[in-house]
Amino acid sequence: MLLAKIKEALSSLYENIQETEETPDADAAAAVEAEDTAVASAAEEVQAEETAPEQEESKPEEVAEPEEPAPPPGPKETDYKAKGYHLDVDLPPEKLPEAAEILLREDFFIESITGVDWIDDEQLEAVYDFNHFDELCRVVLRTRTDRENPAIPTISHIYQGANWHERETHDFFGIKFIDHPNLEPLLLPEDADFHPLLKDFKA
Amino acid sequence: MNGLLQQDVNKETFTINLGPQHPATHGVLRVKLVMDGEYIVEAEPVLGYIHRMHEKMGENRTWAKFLPNCGRMDYLSAMSYNHGYVAAVERAAAIEVPERAEYLRVITVEMNRISSHLLWFGAFVLDLGGFTPLLYAFDDRELILDLLESVTGSRLTYCYFRFGGVYNDIDDAFIAGTREFIKRQRKRMPMYDALVTKNIILIKRLKEIGHISKDMAIRYGATGPVARGSGINYDVRKNEPYSVYPEFDFDVPVYEEGDSMARYMVRMDEIEQSMRIIEQALDKLPEGEIKPKKAIKLVKPEKGDYYHAVEAARGSFGVRLVSDGKNQAYRLKLRSPTYSNLSLYGEATKGMLLPDALALMGSLDLVIPEIDR
Amino acid sequence: MGNEVVQPPIIHFDTLDKILGLGRANSLWPMTFGLACCAIEMMATGAARFDLARFGAEVFRPSPRQCDVMIVAGTISKKMEPAVKTLYDQMPEPKWVIAMGNCAISGGPFVFEGQYGIVEGADKFLPVDVYIPGCPPRPEALIEGILELEEKVTGHRRWPRVEAK
Repeated sequence: MLLAKIKEALSSLYENIQETEETPDADAAAAVEAEDTAVASAAEEVQAEETAPEQEESKPEEVAEPEEPAPPPGPKETDYKAKGYHLDVDLPPEKLPEAAEILLREDFFIESITGVDWIDDEQLEAVYDFNHFDELCRVVLRTRTDRENPAIPTISHIYQGANWHERETHDFFGIKFIDHPNLEPLLLPEDADFHPLLKDFKA
Repeated sequence: MNGLLQQDVNKETFTINLGPQHPATHGVLRVKLVMDGEYIVEAEPVLGYIHRMHEKMGENRTWAKFLPNCGRMDYLSAMSYNHGYVAAVERAAAIEVPERAEYLRVITVEMNRISSHLLWFGAFVLDLGGFTPLLYAFDDRELILDLLESVTGSRLTYCYFRFGGVYNDIDDAFIAGTREFIKRQRKRMPMYDALVTKNIILIKRLKEIGHISKDMAIRYGATGPVARGSGINYDVRKNEPYSVYPEFDFDVPVYEEGDSMARYMVRMDEIEQSMRIIEQALDKLPEGEIKPKKAIKLVKPEKGDYYHAVEAARGSFGVRLVSDGKNQAYRLKLRSPTYSNLSLYGEATKGMLLPDALALMGSLDLVIPEIDR
Repeated sequence: MGNEVVQPPIIHFDTLDKILGLGRANSLWPMTFGLACCAIEMMATGAARFDLARFGAEVFRPSPRQCDVMIVAGTISKKMEPAVKTLYDQMPEPKWVIAMGNCAISGGPFVFEGQYGIVEGADKFLPVDVYIPGCPPRPEALIEGILELEEKVTGHRRWPRVEAK
């Protein structure tokens, strides 16, 4: 019910990643609004067609399928008993505000935002946890950004609680949240210029 | 020029500082207040004065060595924090817990919840100006602390849970003492009700003060008694059952008004519901082991990330752990309920009188070391 | 850092000193300076069962101008250190400091290699008179600490030490 509904709504974000890789996001946003109630089969078709566009970003000429069968991008249902959450959504950073708007429309509340330092991949990951009051459905949004210049758009104009969570993530990892109203240190002293939870931090 | 000066004088605001040292209870919280006379124009909490690096320690310590930290985050309901962390690691490493251990966990967690609510009650009324209920609440609380000390060894910062069970079994003296305590407490609660809850001064200070709407709770992620006082029926023990909670019959008090009085009543009712759970657990307590049959030498969760939430006294405490198969966590995120509850303070206090803002702060039930972690 | 130079009095009145010492020791007014978990045990000491009031120390004043003794109960973080020093400086003489709990003595359980946030012990920047170990120390331990401080002020102990048989 709720899980299926939110999976549909979020998977519509992925169609636009495949179709409009060059077109600006404004069109994509309008398309999302119109296709919000897309039929599940259409979404599945689209997902089956494009087999991992993110992997093929560097090779736009190749239309052939990749060597290993990569899972189609889109919201993945996870085993709740084993993992503790229901839906795992991997998005590029630009799609985050749209995803947050979709979730707010369905009355999801923001549980936490945190970061993970994948130093071997040279990437920083931001993980967003959402949950629902009426029916249990945990949605996890993930996004990765470059370790040297980490920048992710903020969602604090949609979810005001994200204001503090993003400040804390910036404190600990140095991820810059674009358009955040007030990105000062929250837990560290005001003049702190170090980011303690990075793996190569030395006191 | 004259008009400008007139405008300035009428709207003159000044900035004052509340904290970081103010009368015990909450901890070290600093609030920057921009005031217009007695009315608050803007309130901004400043945190970090007790930041004790728990998440960094999660990455430096092995899974078992992190257990003492759990008790020191929210020291008033340390058992729930133990439970959250231990349950998350058990989910990640697929460790089974024997049934008797689960019952002991529930009994100790609920007793801890009662003692946390009692202390909140005493401290809250102290904030509003009444000194006496604090002494009565501490008196009741000392009985719980005695019982838990006989089982776990500590009065405040418990470290009772282990992966796969608990470390010490209870005896008949504990069971008899707990039943005695419940009987006594059931006689005391009407006294609190008559003397404090029905007190006209308390009613005037709390009714219709500090309104938090359901929409605000969704946008800020408020959980626990703060959400239940605004009409949201969300309790992790019922919505997302874990441990052996499905076997107990208890209600979740929900009040619609959303003011400080509603949050006060939610917590007072929760004390009675916790006592019901403890009674049922003592009646149904099975015999058996309290630790897994095969002793766990090394805890090695699978690679990946996991999430587990429990209902602490202040809301939904979540643990997100990212493991890379080693002996330590790769990343341990502790989702503290009071953090989200306090973040709505700035929006909720716009235009309030300063004493009302303090009543709202007390009704949010803050424990600052839990926010700063 | 941790020593304080106090000018000794020029004229000594022996009996008057004794009387003043007795008066000060039996009415130590602590400051409400609970930072973390030890604060709860401090409150429990002031409450009905352990009752610090019998030793004259029940009046916990929030304002530093009215206190004699500052019980540092809890971890001092680097962000909080200037505030603690300011409060200590605002207290009028004669003043004492009790370091309660492992965190105030030496950083407690939060010391690890590469720690960036706490000050390892109150005696790094304050002159501490009595140390009370424990995590958190029992209320009886805090009472013993107050009695030790009284002994330091007057020169003799309120009642004899309990011998273990």
